Parts: sequence; C-alpha cells; structure tokens
Amino acid sequence: MATTTTTASESLRRAGRGSLAGARIREAGWGYLFVLLPMAVFGLFFIYPLVYGIYISFFEWGILGKVHGVGTANYHTIFHDSVFRRSIKNIVEYTVVVVPLEMALGLLIALVINAKIRGRAFFRSSFYFPSLVSSAAITAIFIYLLNADGLLNAIIGGNRAWFGDPSTALWAIVGLNAWTTAGTVMLFYLAALQSISTDVYEAAAVDGTGTWRTFWRITFPLLKPAHFFVLVVFGIGALKLFDQSFIVSSGTGGPVYSTYTPVLYIYNTAFKSAEFGPAAAAGVVMFVAIFLLTLFQRATVGRSEAG
Amino acid sequence: MRRAFAVSAALLSLALLTLVVVASGAQARSEHAQATTITLSGWSAGKVEDDLLQTMVNDFNKTHPAIHVDYSVINGDYATAMTARFAARNAPDVFYVDSSVAPTWVKQGVLQPLNSYIKASKFDTSKFYPGLLNAFKFGKSIYGFPKDWSPLATEINVKMFRQAGIRTAPRTWAQLAADAKKLAASGVLPAGAKPICLPPDWARMLAFIYQNKGSLANVQSPAVAAAVNFYVGLVKQGLAATQQQLGVGWPGEALGKEKAAIVFEGNWLLPYMHDTFPQVLMGVSPMVKGKVNGNLGFTVSYSMAKDSKNKAAAWTLLSWLTGKVGMTKWMSLGLALPSRTDVKAIGGRKAFLAAGPFSHGWGFPNFTATYTIMSNDLQAVMNGSMTTAQMLSDVAKSLKG
Amino acid sequence: MLQTSVAANEAYVPPRSRRRVAGRLIVYGVLIAVALLYFVPFAYTLSTSFKTLPQTAYFNLIPHPFTTAAWTSVWKDYDFKRYALNSLFLAVTVTLINLFLASLGGYAFARLRFPGREVLFLLVLGTLMIPDQLRLIPVFVMLTNWHLIGNFSGYILISMVSAVNLFFMRQYFLTIPKDFEEAAKLDGAGFFKTFWRVMLPLAGPAIAALAILQFQGTWNDFFWPLILFGQGSEHLYTIQLGLAQLSFTYQTLWPQLMAGSILALLPILVIFLVFQRFFVAGVTAAGIKG
Repeated sequence: MATTTTTASESLRRAGRGSLAGARIREAGWGYLFVLLPMAVFGLFFIYPLVYGIYISFFEWGILGKVHGVGTANYHTIFHDSVFRRSIKNIVEYTVVVVPLEMALGLLIALVINAKIRGRAFFRSSFYFPSLVSSAAITAIFIYLLNADGLLNAIIGGNRAWFGDPSTALWAIVGLNAWTTAGTVMLFYLAALQSISTDVYEAAAVDGTGTWRTFWRITFPLLKPAHFFVLVVFGIGALKLFDQSFIVSSGTGGPVYSTYTPVLYIYNTAFKSAEFGPAAAAGVVMFVAIFLLTLFQRATVGRSEAG
Repeated sequence: MRRAFAVSAALLSLALLTLVVVASGAQARSEHAQATTITLSGWSAGKVEDDLLQTMVNDFNKTHPAIHVDYSVINGDYATAMTARFAARNAPDVFYVDSSVAPTWVKQGVLQPLNSYIKASKFDTSKFYPGLLNAFKFGKSIYGFPKDWSPLATEINVKMFRQAGIRTAPRTWAQLAADAKKLAASGVLPAGAKPICLPPDWARMLAFIYQNKGSLANVQSPAVAAAVNFYVGLVKQGLAATQQQLGVGWPGEALGKEKAAIVFEGNWLLPYMHDTFPQVLMGVSPMVKGKVNGNLGFTVSYSMAKDSKNKAAAWTLLSWLTGKVGMTKWMSLGLALPSRTDVKAIGGRKAFLAAGPFSHGWGFPNFTATYTIMSNDLQAVMNGSMTTAQMLSDVAKSLKG
Repeated sequence: MLQTSVAANEAYVPPRSRRRVAGRLIVYGVLIAVALLYFVPFAYTLSTSFKTLPQTAYFNLIPHPFTTAAWTSVWKDYDFKRYALNSLFLAVTVTLINLFLASLGGYAFARLRFPGREVLFLLVLGTLMIPDQLRLIPVFVMLTNWHLIGNFSGYILISMVSAVNLFFMRQYFLTIPKDFEEAAKLDGAGFFKTFWRVMLPLAGPAIAALAILQFQGTWNDFFWPLILFGQGSEHLYTIQLGLAQLSFTYQTLWPQLMAGSILALLPILVIFLVFQRFFVAGVTAAGIKG
C-alpha cells in the first residue's frame, strides 16, 4: 500500500511541470473533461427527468400535460393512501432481508471460487447461470416450482401455495431474487478479490494466522470499497423491486397487498390510471428516502480514500 | 496516443454506422409518399391473429388505393407504450382500446369522438350490441366501435360429469351448488381437485352480481352482498378453490389439468384447451343464471387518436374494420365473436353469443385503483381476514375516485 | 490428484492432513451439489424446448415425445437471425462505449481532483435511485422531439454510460496503490496517458466483470428497446422483443419461448466464458484452506 499521499498535481509539480496552481488547474481541467460525457448523459436522461418529476408532483397532471396546480395535495394523497403506505412497509421488509442475503451468498461463493480448487471455471459458470437466463423465464420457472403441488412442496411436504399465500409471497420473491442475484454479486466480489495483493496473504501465513482470522481481519476489511458498492447498488436495486412482483401478482400487488411495491404503485398510478401528479410525488418520496439512505451508507461504510 | 486514436476512430465509425441505420429507417417511411399513410396498432393475440389482421390490412390497401395502412404489433406492455406515445403526440392513427382502460383514456382526452364522422358517413351504430357499444360511449359521445368480444360461459369436464351421473351443465345457481356437491361426493375428482375453480377476481364475480340484480352503481346493496357471499361461500364450503390453491396459473389450466370440473371463462379458453389440453373433453354451456341473466362483455374497440393527422383516412379504416365487411373477415377463423348482430360467428359459439343482450361491458371509473382494491380485498374475504361489508365499502369509495 | 498426494505423504502423514482431505471432499461435494442445483432452470428450459405444447403442463425432465418442432418454428416463423444480429450490434456498441466512459469517469472520480467532485459523484449515485417508470415520459418525449425514436440511436444515446459501471470502476481504482501513477508522472506521462497506459491495464478484472455484465444487460434489456424502437419496426427487434412475440394474454408458446431463450442465452454464455478467465490474474488462496 502507498505510504505517501501526494496528489496528482503535486506529483506533476515534482516532475518539474510548472507551478502548483497551474498544475492544479490542469488537473481539474482533465478531471472535468473525463467526466464530461458521463455527466451529460446522466444530466439529460436522469437528472432532468427527476427535476421535471419534482415539478409535476405539484400539479394534477394528465397524459397530455398540466391540468392545474395543486400544491402539496399529491403528497397528502399518497401518504393517506393505505396501499402506498403498505408498499413502503413491504419494500423495507424485503430490502432488509434480501440485501444481506445477497451479499453473504455472493461473497461466500466468490471466496470459494477464488480459492485454489479444481474446476473453478465450471463453478464460476454454474453459480452465474441463473443470472444468464432471462428474468421472465426464471420467474416463470420459480412460480412453477413453488406451486401448491410443485417441486418444493414435494420435497419439504405440505400444500402451501408460496406465491399465492399472503404470508409467504414476498419471502418467495426474496428467495427468487437472492438466488438469481447472488451470481452477479459474486462477480463483483471476485473482481475485487483480484485486487488484493498476495503479499498480504503470504504475510498472514507467515504469521500463522488461521483461515477465519485471515478472512475476517484482513480480507473482509480490504473489501470495503466493494462492500460499499454492493450495499448501495443492490440495496437501491432491492428498493426498486418491480418486475417479479408484477409478474407474480399480475400487477395487483397481491395476494392481499403483500407484494405491492412503491415502484408498482408509481407504475399503476402513472400508466394505468394516468395520474402523473401522485405518481411523481411517490417517485420523489422514493428518491429522497433512497438518497438519505445512501448518504448514511456513505458516512459509515463508504468513507472514501479518493486521492 | 496511437491507440487512443484507434479507439476514437472505432467509436466514430460506430456512430456513423448508427447514423446509417437511422437514415435507412427514414428512407423506408418515404416510400409511400403518394398515398396517405396511417398507422394501425394493437397488441398481439397470437401469430394466427396477427397474420389475419395483416391480411385484412392488405385487402384494405388494395381496395383503398388512396390510403396506405401500416400495421404494427406492440408486444409487451401495451398501456405503457401507448401512454408514452400519447404524451409525445406520436400515437398511431387507429389502435385497440380495451374496455377497461377506455374511461381513463377518454378522460385524458387522447381519443377522438366519432359522432361527427358517424353522422357524415351515416354509419349505422344500431348493429352493435348496446352493452358493448356503451363501454365506449360517454355522455353522448362515442369513442370507438367494439371490434369483437367475449362473455363468460360455463365450461365443464364432460367425462367427470358423466362419471358422476350429471346429465347437463348447471344452468342456475342452485344447480351449480348441487352439481358441485354431487361431484365432490361421487369421488370422480382426483386428489387435490375441487368441483369448481373460482378465481378471486371481480372480473368473474361481477357476472354473478349482475345475475342477482346487483350492480356497481350501488355496490353496498344487499343484492351485491348476497351475490358475493354465494361466490365466496362456494370456496368456503370446499366446493370451489382458487387457482393458487389448486396450484395452477388460471382456471383454464385447472380445467385442462383436471383439477376442476367447472370453470367460467370466455371464448379465449377454446383455442387454449385445443392447443394445450386436446385430450380433455370440454363442454361449453351458457353462463349460469341467478335471479336474472347477467354477464360481462370483455371487449376491445378500434379508436382514433385525438392527435391523428389523418383523421378522414383513419375514419375510413376504422369504419371498414368494424363494418359488416371487415368484421366478417375478422370472424372467418373463429378466433373471436362478432360484436355486430348482422355478422355471423363460425359454428359452436352459440353458448357465448346468447349472452349478447344482457352483457355489461367490463370497465368502470377509476379502473386500476379500484380493480387493485377489488382483487386484494376479495382474496382477503376468501381467506377470512376481511368481511364482505368492508370490501364493498372499500370498492364503493374507490369507484367515486 | 488428491489421492496421489496423500499416498505420497503416507509415511509422514500428520493427523491434520486427513481432516484436510475429508474437509476438501465435503466442500467439493457440496459445491457440486449446489452447482448442479443451479443448473436446474437451464435443464428445465432445455427440456421444455423439445416438448409439444400440451406436454409443457407437466414437470418431467425427459420430453415424451421428443420433438424439435419448436426449434424449427422459432427459426422459420420468426426472424431470429435478424433479432440476434440486432442484439449483437447493440450489445457490442453499448458495452464498448460503456467500458470506455465508465473507466475514464471512474478514474477521474477516484484519482483526479476537481472542484465539486464529491457533489457530482453523489449526483451520479443519485441517478441510480430514479426508477425507470418515473423517467420514461420525459425521456421518451425528448427523444421523440429529436427524432431518435424508431431507430437505435436514441437507445444507444441513453445507454452510453451507466452509473453502476462508473461507480464500480471508481471503487476499483481506489484500491490500486498510488505508486503506479506516481511512477508514470515521474516518467512525464500526462493524465490521459497515465490512464490509458497504466491504470486501465491494471483494472483488467474490473473491466472483465463490467464487460460481462454490460453485454448481458444490454442483451437482456426489454423495457427501453420496446419503448424506443420496438413498436412497429420488426426489422429492428432485439432477441428479447422477438421472444415477447411468443407470449400473449391467454397463452404462451412455451416450447418456442424456451427454445428462443436458449438461443438468446448462448452468446452471453460465450462472452461469460471468454471473460471469466480474467479473474484468474494474480491472486491465489483466499478463503478455504484445509
């Protein structure tokens, strides 16, 4: 690991390239240049729609545009809508369970595969397989397997319709998504594991550190940037759950509201009821909540060492 | 630096290639510059149907040289795709509108009222079944003509009925309950099967409500409550089960896998059973009757975009497709039922057509929010965690918007 | 191989080694069992593609009768060759552009200093939090007004770089020791050269991971292609749009859909097998050891 903490500009200056101020300006210039195109794409196709959405949330807004201003009425409407409130409860429960599950599974598989075992390529491919098959096909297969007389019940007994029972439908989706996403999480952790230099492990081996301690005291902390990444990306992904809940409940968010998610609420309100005002308000609420959560994650896990 | 240039060059060529693709797209459009070009869109109900419609469009193009129709299917989420097109003022000229979404789209002002065209062309709207036409009529304005439809009917597993000693399909509520009890007691049902498969769906239960002289205009009336209790009662007595309880995706699958002997589905069940479960002998009989006959008309209209730039041409197409000539062609493969009284269906559809006079179009105000409440609450009522009165109160509130 | 090494050490076997062997066997056993389980959806997909439609109602792995009708139907009735070419073009284009822009931007956020960097990065993260459904209409209206609908250009434009990719590259660059850059600077390399010649090659595993994921993401993308060019232009269909033709309201042509899904799956499987080798670079033995 680097022991000096020089900035790029200082290095430039040391290399004899003019004044520090000039070097800093040059560095900033290149920095802006490098991020120009990405920020343009993000600005146009993400930030602008978000700002537009915030604007819309203060109006009654139909397919063809503005109807009239309503102030904060849309926000009142959605917070008094028991369906929206239920969707928030559902998604929080879902996320809190599915994200640690995905992280743990993905990390575990990555560690196992990264070890010196035979047939690594085979295992890598097979654990990644569910992510390759299209989401619609996997959901259909899972629905089939978790039927009242499907394979799962054949193995563990019982007659429960996993996706049709209000108390298990959401957890069945947790299982489905954890299983398919673990492969993707594995890829990210695998890549991150490659960046840990072997010296670290050799040093640990020389010290006689056991496997568990090596993992917990050395590997795990070194993976912090990856943890932050996985937590943020897959946490946000979980909070945006839509596809599986839509397929499983045919868009009704059932059984008995148990699979109703906030994004499903936005979708139904905007594209089925053509009420863009409340839909935008719900979108803004989601955005703010996720943003605050991410800030919190950044302050705890994500303290960056950006040069 | 050389490699950087190479990469930039590669990206530039990709961009140029993209431009070529764009340009070729633009080229294709200008080919039909002489005739007025209009677009026709709908969702897909199968390759056979799509091909039939394309054939009809080709016929139309030949007989109407001044108009060229481009027919394109929208696979995937139709409502979302159309909403985006409406918002961008880029909608097709003529397109499908489902009766359930018609109230919303009319309220949003994206559908063209047709009254002036009807008057000018002296188009005879009396040939459409009133219940179906009313699904697209709001106030005095008509926003589309039903292109086809289907009501519900009673479909039974003939083999099981014979084995249980029941001669005919049930025609009344009393017979329905009696037949179900007989089937359950007779032992002809395989393990895990139930006599009837009843979905927790107002798109089926509402027919029973109409049969009990109830309606959505007065949802909290005793007539409605009694109908709901009958429907849910069948499940609670063990004479019926939902598709989830039977481990299938919908009642049609239950009938096919012989997990139920009686279901209530529309014309769409026939090709499904024929293709997927050809070995199951199915009998089709008119929908059961309560105090009166009552049924739902699931129908789709051809409508015109308010923003269409070629309304006259669009009208010509629309009125042709839903006129006697066009609809007869559409009925030729027996994939749908005619919504006009002067067009014949192919054989074997008597059980469905009989319901024409008393079918109510499937659709109501504030559709999506209300239907969500209907579905979720009915599931709760069926598993005992909610009362009928509570559900009806929720629905009544939602219908008011 | 395990057995020979044990036999060779037979004379010196300390008690620990036997446990090591047993432990290894258990691990392998579990791994193989789990891996086989992971193959179940693929096996099911494959077997369904050889069934007739009536047969798909039943869950048996061996089709009875075994028929290739679905495969010929998929190839003949639907233009899957064309769909595959379209998907390939889009996936390659979007992946290449993404890899370049994401690594460039990620490097800047990780190692270059410029005012407002942290705010801009939060903005980047912010884009992840906006559901597609929320931004659909503004984006669609924008692209329609610029005539970028009904062809690939609009889709490529909005897919040029994704926040996930940029974020990941940034995280990865953060873990690379600064010595490399400093050495490059001392050698007189400018910013772009440092990035191109020094940092990018060091980011091999990350690039490989992103290549796999972005290719697959674009390949499997359904929503945006449907909305942006998937209406009425069958010659522009991607494989996913092509597959969507096989399900309708009351019926799904399961055998054809499964056959088509396997066709759709093969290219991304190839990409995965090719790029997953880059995960071998450098490291040994983390995790399980005896």
